[in-house]
Amino acid sequence: MKDKVTFDITRRGFLGTALGGAAALAAGPSFAQANTLNILSHRVHQAVLMPDGGENLLAEWKSAQDAEAAFTTFDSNPLMDRLFREASLGSTDYGVGYMVDNRPTSEIASLFEPLDSYQKDDPIEDFGDIAPGLVQGMTVDGNLIGIPVRHATQGLFYNEALLEEAGISAPPTTLEELVEQAGKLTFTSSAGTPVTGMILASDLAVFPVMFARAYGGDFITKDFELVPSPEAMEKGLDTLRGMFEAGSLPRSYATTKNDDMVTWIQQGRAAFTVLPFARNAQLNNPEQSKYPGKIKATAFPGSSSLPSGTPMAAVTEAWAMVVPKNAGDKQLAWSYIKEVSSKRVTTGMALNGNGPVRVSSYADPALIEKNPVAEVEAEVLATARGAFPPFPEAARAQATMLEEVQLAVIGRKPVKEAVAAIIERVKPLMPS
Amino acid sequence: MRSGRILVVAGKAVAVAALLTWSLVPIAFVVMSSVKPGQEIFAVPTVYAFEPTLEHYAELWRRWGQFFDGLIDSAIITAGATALAIIASTCAGYVYSRNSSRFLNASVMFLIVVRLIPPIVVTLPLFPLVNIMGLNDTHIVLMVLYATFFVSLGTVLMRTFIDQIPRELDEAAQIDGAGRLTILRRVIVPLAAPGILAVAVFVVVFAWNEFLFAFVFTATKAKTAPLVISEMIGSIDGVDWGILFAASTTQLAPILIFVVLMNRYLVAGLTAGATKG
Amino acid sequence: MRTRSLAELMPLVAPVHILILSVIVLPSIFVIWLSVTESTYGQAPTWVGLANYARVLADPAFHGALWNTVVIVVFAVHIELAVGLLVALLFASGLLLRRLLLVAVLAPYAVSEVIAVVAWRYLFDPDAGPVTLALQAIGLPILDWSFEPVHAMILIGLLTIWLHLPFTFIILYAARLAIPSDLYEAARIDGATPLQAFRRVTLPLLGPAIVVALLFRYIFAFRIFSEVWLLTGGGPARSTEVVAVYLYQEAFSYNAFGTAAATAWIMVVASLLLAAGYVFLLRRQVTSNA
Repeated sequence: MKDKVTFDITRRGFLGTALGGAAALAAGPSFAQANTLNILSHRVHQAVLMPDGGENLLAEWKSAQDAEAAFTTFDSNPLMDRLFREASLGSTDYGVGYMVDNRPTSEIASLFEPLDSYQKDDPIEDFGDIAPGLVQGMTVDGNLIGIPVRHATQGLFYNEALLEEAGISAPPTTLEELVEQAGKLTFTSSAGTPVTGMILASDLAVFPVMFARAYGGDFITKDFELVPSPEAMEKGLDTLRGMFEAGSLPRSYATTKNDDMVTWIQQGRAAFTVLPFARNAQLNNPEQSKYPGKIKATAFPGSSSLPSGTPMAAVTEAWAMVVPKNAGDKQLAWSYIKEVSSKRVTTGMALNGNGPVRVSSYADPALIEKNPVAEVEAEVLATARGAFPPFPEAARAQATMLEEVQLAVIGRKPVKEAVAAIIERVKPLMPS
Repeated sequence: MRSGRILVVAGKAVAVAALLTWSLVPIAFVVMSSVKPGQEIFAVPTVYAFEPTLEHYAELWRRWGQFFDGLIDSAIITAGATALAIIASTCAGYVYSRNSSRFLNASVMFLIVVRLIPPIVVTLPLFPLVNIMGLNDTHIVLMVLYATFFVSLGTVLMRTFIDQIPRELDEAAQIDGAGRLTILRRVIVPLAAPGILAVAVFVVVFAWNEFLFAFVFTATKAKTAPLVISEMIGSIDGVDWGILFAASTTQLAPILIFVVLMNRYLVAGLTAGATKG
Repeated sequence: MRTRSLAELMPLVAPVHILILSVIVLPSIFVIWLSVTESTYGQAPTWVGLANYARVLADPAFHGALWNTVVIVVFAVHIELAVGLLVALLFASGLLLRRLLLVAVLAPYAVSEVIAVVAWRYLFDPDAGPVTLALQAIGLPILDWSFEPVHAMILIGLLTIWLHLPFTFIILYAARLAIPSDLYEAARIDGATPLQAFRRVTLPLLGPAIVVALLFRYIFAFRIFSEVWLLTGGGPARSTEVVAVYLYQEAFSYNAFGTAAATAWIMVVASLLLAAGYVFLLRRQVTSNA
């Protein structure tokens, strides 16, 4: 592996020269490191640690451990698949992997090293500062199998310029207002672009779950209760259905994907969407967005029919660092986890756009200055929770729910029937 | 008669125009988007007049070094897979062309029937196996996989091409004392060259674009370009479409040039193969 | 020459068969074993007999997926064949700048599926895609593929034809060029109309090439995946799901390796049945050549 680094540089350098490009890769031959820690992650996990042209947050760890960190990156779902496959082998080269918190079932957790004893012998700095809810999510059958490192919490994004154009001065504070504003914002903007009130992807559980929660309901609670309030779920889907009928959800709802939400908002084709707060920078990126600085975020509002003061539980998703049981040098892996979880690195990553797992990071003045949505994000995070808890058939349960939701929203099935079908079809998939 | 001719010419012109539109518009869209300013790529209404920019290519070079590594890996793997597939198919095609028996006929059928098994099926059991052999994340494993999934078509095509070469030629060589390998090298390969190149086109295009096997069996050292492109469509930190289209164009260009350069052999080779019928 | 012993020929045939046996056949046999067990990550396989097959065959979602696959295979492959044949004849009839045009027609073959889908999704965006707007401008009905399952299937079919027409075309075109022109000369002297020449000369002589093109396209079309997965994700509400997507979901989304393996084998058998007729034709051709 360590030869690989030099080889890469040579190859790229060669290509650079061949293309007549500047041989800016003057990075000399890498000095021989004693150890290499192979890490399996998404590219974004690597990018927040060593941003382009920014400070390498791992530098201290590297010299202290005399080690090199080699990242292998994949997109999220392929990443999970690869991580589990590697952990199922006799032995793996990977010391650390990044896992989403809706995946660790008992079976999956059994493939990864319990970290409690590492934490006892060589504790992470101020462990209590890491959001307890996130730590809880990585505790399976009493074992702590992952250390939270990143969260993505959903907020309501809106295009301030379009709101103004439609004569709306403030973003909605209740779901009813949101529906009304989305209706008004289904128009042709002064730029000549047909605007749809709101855009939501139809292949993620996040959105129907948020709408159900806005009425005090849920899909599957953390205690594995399936659709605790069918009425709330029905109201949530009724609302989505109504928005679809009014044209304030696009007609292409049933095939809308995550990336469509971003491009539609950037292009002013939709006025509202629900995305992780961390997307704020991308939505306002002047290189891509027609409305840089005009896309704002706020908390997703609950229904006014709920008793006042009832908190709206937005959906959050967290990533944690895990160590495969079949990994080689686990002490080196732990030293990496410990370093990345430190206050210094957590805040550093937050400044690079990572959702920080430490409550204290949000108090950092530099972060508040750099990230305009930090404050509201911290507030929403306080009551947020996962879309559904991990269990063996969770992915199938999600797909089943989404199929019924799509049928209901585009009007191929009455909402009541769809909710009944969700309950009937998901029940056999629930853990006993 | 004259007006009839004009009608025919006009008809052909319309057909050609339709054909060009059909084939090239989606490709033109990709290439055009790669030089469009980022915020105009998906603008509604569509922006047709814009100032071309190379910024996406510059960004690609700066931020996605691994994409260029991927191109090199793709090139190495494509070359290896093509060589392997051609050598194996030519040898087998030669035997099938010059010999006949119940067993050999059955084994040709077997080659074709086996291709009914979708590639995705073999990934599950092969992953642990490749790991045990220590071949994970190597160029070799992809070369072997890509070659394997093309030797069926390759063998069938090569057999037809070699059928065109008069047997008298290898018989004459044999009388001169040449062994079978020598005949293959000195007589068959030179004469079947257009056919070999035609088969090469199929393998090269497949190996250059393949995604599933590359995804399952590589990590960093043999990561191919399509894999890096798919990572750009990743969903966590958002897609930078400009860079994606720049990468797509870069990945498309060499293979398109290759097809352009080879099209004469492709047609000549396949035509020679088809005359046997 | 003709009575060589098999042993003597083996070294030359062996590479192909070793590759196929070790990479395709043996793993497939292992997959049979997987299909009669239940397993996932972190859970060793346990014997369940034919339960996985029963489960898949009884799943209405699988029926839908199988039906969609057959529809796409039958429609897309035959339309593609017809168009490919027309284009081949157009080229054979003599065109200006033929080589340049040939390259243009072959170009989509070089485009990877991921990129093709991104381009098509945008061009056919039901609200704002350039193609949609163009269709509306000339008063034609648009493809409402994100809402109407039938339209979604049509778009998937068009995309798959776009990607694979070059393959079908080149095989047919090459075969057409191989037909000696004196045959047409003779037909003309005998007073045959162009249509008669096509029916009596072109079609019969293209027969074998048509069979080869169809057979390989049947095989590939049956495992259609990227076009569907990336374009519609099988939606709206699973109405455009195909067998390969179903299989992918079982294996990679639900990590249910038993049902995934069973689906794989059902898929092989189903595609074998569908292609059986063509395999039969090809076999006759193989024997007649011998």
